Amino acid sequence: MTRLRAHPYLINLVLLGLALALSVAVGSVFIPPATLVRILVSRLPGVYVQADWPDTFTTIIQQIRLPHTFLITLTGAALAGSGAAYQGLFRNPLADPYLIGVASGAGLGAVLSLTIHWPSTLLGLYTVPASAFIGAALTVAIVYNLARVGRAVPTTTMILAGVAFSSFATSLTSFLMFRSNTELRRALSWLLGGALISGWDPLLALIPYITVGLGSLLLSGHALNVLQFGEEQAQQLGLPVERVKLLLILAASLTTAAAVAFSGIIGFIGLVVPHVVRIFWGSDYRRIIPLSILGGGSALLLADLLARIALTPQILPLGIVTALVGAPFFVWILRQAKAQAFW
Amino acid sequence: MHIMNKPLILILLLTALALSACTGATPVVTQSLPEAAPATPTTEPVVPTKAPSSTPEPTSTPEPTATPEPIVITDGLGREIVLEMPAQQIVSLAPSNTEILFALGAGSQVVARDAFSDFPAEAQDLTDIGGGWGEINTESLLSLAPDLILAAEINAPEQIQALEDLGLKVFYLANPKELEGMYDNLRIVARLTGREQEAEDLVASLQTRVAAVDALMAGVEIRPLVFYELDGTDANAPWTSGPGTFIDLLVERAGGENLGGTLDSAWVQISIEALITQNPDIILLGDAVWGGVTPESVSARTGWDAIAAVKNQQVYPFDDNLVSRPGPRMVDGLEALAKLLHPELHP
Repeated sequence: MTRLRAHPYLINLVLLGLALALSVAVGSVFIPPATLVRILVSRLPGVYVQADWPDTFTTIIQQIRLPHTFLITLTGAALAGSGAAYQGLFRNPLADPYLIGVASGAGLGAVLSLTIHWPSTLLGLYTVPASAFIGAALTVAIVYNLARVGRAVPTTTMILAGVAFSSFATSLTSFLMFRSNTELRRALSWLLGGALISGWDPLLALIPYITVGLGSLLLSGHALNVLQFGEEQAQQLGLPVERVKLLLILAASLTTAAAVAFSGIIGFIGLVVPHVVRIFWGSDYRRIIPLSILGGGSALLLADLLARIALTPQILPLGIVTALVGAPFFVWILRQAKAQAFW
Repeated sequence: MHIMNKPLILILLLTALALSACTGATPVVTQSLPEAAPATPTTEPVVPTKAPSSTPEPTSTPEPTATPEPIVITDGLGREIVLEMPAQQIVSLAPSNTEILFALGAGSQVVARDAFSDFPAEAQDLTDIGGGWGEINTESLLSLAPDLILAAEINAPEQIQALEDLGLKVFYLANPKELEGMYDNLRIVARLTGREQEAEDLVASLQTRVAAVDALMAGVEIRPLVFYELDGTDANAPWTSGPGTFIDLLVERAGGENLGGTLDSAWVQISIEALITQNPDIILLGDAVWGGVTPESVSARTGWDAIAAVKNQQVYPFDDNLVSRPGPRMVDGLEALAKLLHPELHP
């Protein structure tokens, strides 16, 4: 394990590269690696490659695998990055990106739009992601305001308000699903982490949130380090605690909400990847955040790969796989690292 | 440096929010798919104006089938689907569609099916492209190069859109509202597959069989009260089918009265107390096929022995697939129901 510690960024980049390559290369239709490379190269501007493969191969790579791979990478990065930030902000190892209600709010929004057949003319198929995003954003806003005491927002109060409001939203979601006859399957598949919309469009919609959100988180490593002394200490050290808190919550929630809106609710990645990073490469948040972002992308790509090939031709909901495979893996890592207190 | 940067980051974040609110939503407006605008029917058919040059002028060739007319049919989403010739490489995305295709003799034109399609037995040999509770395996579907995908109401609109975005031809077969609508669906699929004659024969024979049941039930005085159990996992609140469902329709037509017909939604739970009060004469176990429920296990349920159907041993397993899939086997279902409900008329 010690040797792994040497080059954290190199290791994670190589891992991500491998995961990306695997994700594009493996699918239910076998495309020979050589052909795959030629297809990819032929897509580059200014390069001409004599096409000696069936058209469907190009479509599969260009319209199915590439956009899917990127969507999964961004989602994993968003969840793990936000999870790391929340663990630092709340100074709580149980914190994950869904701690203050993003998932339950998004779930409520999505199921609401599925069950009431919201005039789907205006946004078309984007009604579900749009209402999921709005549900998530509203929930975080409500929780934040519920927890506010004067000008300060104590983190404990926020966690409690988040848990309470999440339960409320989840019950409402269950009620709606119970009352709905026809859309149960769609709702369930979204709640288990299934991307409803495929193709490149969701990526375009995601990129602004992810870049700005994760970008802000990347810049917050130092602030998070200072926060580890406790909020009062941090304030005395010159950190504008409440403002940092608001910024972190805003950045992490928007990133998570955007990812969840398109990929459904995928658990466990946001909780576990930051811990694995912490076990291997220490508790400096200037490092944990970027490494979690990279690691989250690779972890979700690998989970997705498993979801696609484990029961071919069926494709498993991603949310099932992440915890099913992630939990034993995490326990194993924990046992390997038990000699040292990492948190 | 971190303190200086905060307001800047905040502004960046907010602008991104506004920005992506535009980019995220607008490009799709043109593609709004389900129930969007079926309002304008065939004002101007979008039949590709065939260049008359391509087919050689009828130079006294006597073959009458030389010029194939393109097949133009409006599907369940109000879209005009154009086929140059009857489909030969069909993927069926629903059990009902698979059954319709095979009943029309077009089984040899089907290359793949969804995970739920289990009838007829030959269908099980076809390539399974998923579906079920997971997603459809778009990759395998695409690699089969189908010329028609037959979707149904159980398929999510996103899935249909995704397949169309890949350049595939998707026909959405809407659920019929009654048996006559099912005949229309048979005729539609027949036109898509070039099986018009088979469809007319099939519809005629189905109509004769239904008419026979109707004639039998015309003079029926006593209509037994039927409880159709969809799912009795929770014996204190089993699920049943309400008004407007095929089960409701077929039970009525088979000379019975559907207990669930008075409830307020299509698929509903009823409390055991209400069930005992209503006291059905016959209980049909739609969950026998998949849930392993038997008449014996029903009479073992607490409180159920107070129901007339249980007392008089009028509890029967029933093949739910006959009445839940909107295909030609619904007539089998109707006949089976008629036999169970009125054995005195079936010597």
